[in-house]
Amino acid sequence: MTPIPAPWKTVLGHLLFCSVCIALWERGAASGWISQAFFGQPSEIAAFLWKGFVTKGNLWIELAYTLGSAVAAFVLGSVLAIAAGLLFVSYPRVEKLVEPYLIVLNAMPRIALVPMFLLWFGLGVGSKIAVGTSLSFFVVLANTVAGIRGVPADLLTLSRTLGATGSQLFFKVTLPSAVPVIASGLRLAVIFSLLGVVGGELIAAERGLGQQLAYLQSTFNMSGVMALLVVLSSLGLFVSTAMTRLEKRLQRWQ
Amino acid sequence: MPVINISNLTIRFGPIVAVDDISLSIEEGEFVSIVGPSGCGKTTVLNQLTGLLPPQAGQIDILGKTPFAGNPDLAYMLARDCLLPWRSALGNACYGMELRGVPAAEAEQRGLALLEKVGLKGFEQHYPKALSHGMRQRCALARTFCLDSPILLMDEPFGALDAQTKLNLEDQLLQLCQDTKRTAVFVTHDLSEAVALSDRVIVMSARPGRIVADVKINLARPRSVRALQKSPEFHALYARVWTELEAGMQVSGASADLVT
Repeated sequence: MTPIPAPWKTVLGHLLFCSVCIALWERGAASGWISQAFFGQPSEIAAFLWKGFVTKGNLWIELAYTLGSAVAAFVLGSVLAIAAGLLFVSYPRVEKLVEPYLIVLNAMPRIALVPMFLLWFGLGVGSKIAVGTSLSFFVVLANTVAGIRGVPADLLTLSRTLGATGSQLFFKVTLPSAVPVIASGLRLAVIFSLLGVVGGELIAAERGLGQQLAYLQSTFNMSGVMALLVVLSSLGLFVSTAMTRLEKRLQRWQ
Repeated sequence: MPVINISNLTIRFGPIVAVDDISLSIEEGEFVSIVGPSGCGKTTVLNQLTGLLPPQAGQIDILGKTPFAGNPDLAYMLARDCLLPWRSALGNACYGMELRGVPAAEAEQRGLALLEKVGLKGFEQHYPKALSHGMRQRCALARTFCLDSPILLMDEPFGALDAQTKLNLEDQLLQLCQDTKRTAVFVTHDLSEAVALSDRVIVMSARPGRIVADVKINLARPRSVRALQKSPEFHALYARVWTELEAGMQVSGASADLVT
């Protein structure tokens, strides 16, 4: 028998560990010494996911609502934040005037805004996008300002002596140099958007994974709740991996 | 007709007089070094030529024009390589030409040729992080010489390098200057470097910076910096510049934070 390479050994180890845990959970729930009402049951969770994504397919729609709102919140928040960041760097006086208000807003637990957003933007996706945006905006703003301020002065001096115009300075020096810092802000903003949207959906919504989660919890369907948690963490893992990939591509030079 | 003419230049930073009434004229094709103790304003004079600082008392004339930022007659090189880390060596070599509107295909050809000349053949696609200090400064040298500018302004371009690498790069610079006839103003605190490279060495005193000596270096060209290290003529000139520099420090009553 050929020896198993080291990375596969680790993967196999994890698989084995998880299988044992799930088997114990399944066995415990079936025989009654783990309460199904509190922890659900692995076979039920699998059945719920199978029904939701394969036979009935209804979870796809909820997923689409949540993901769509999160993407909208991410794009809206990031675009606004980058624009505000550029404004702040170009006009430091504007930043000085606005900064205290932004600090107060950012200090507020954003979920507390949900009741107000529900009144303003309704039960639908509007209020969820608003919560997500209010979270993603601030991370991206802070990183945009830090990224642009962090451009090495030498590079700007050299470029000016070489005759760079204002827009050349921006597109050839400032922007590429700020990209890594802005990108790490964007990676966080993706997760924050998702957090805001699901949080909003949990409180009150018409559709979405968060709304489903609240509904299943209120009907004591613990296997359903667990199944949705699996979906949400996979979703989070997927988007953050995708962002990390993108970030790496953008900064091959680092 | 001098290429650069500085007359009665005085530079103040608030109440401090950094440079006091300097007049200097540099002929076409001359390689002129400015040496002096740290803080004597030699870099300030150079920066004044780039037009990045607001004009001061006195007159500066570069090929008939007053200094302005982005003057295409000038190519500027600093102690730090200032390479853009997200561009390959070739991308960096072409950067100056790109800003000055040289067509991309022509720029690339020239960039490749210059990189080969400075010994970076095979490293064209490497990012700066993958290059050593010496290689990075070679790349900056290529970027500078890719430009057609008749005048080179260099602010301690080899100041951050170790002694061996420095000698190599000085020879490289001499070679490049001989191949393409340029006028160079070279700021350094390294007297041996100044003597080895220049036609004239301008010695400045400690603050307020004044010109205390203008030493002609009539060593034969083409030169080799390595060979000069053993030449008695070179050492005699070196000693002379050193004496002038010491005198300049005493005139100003500066503490003897001597430089070598």
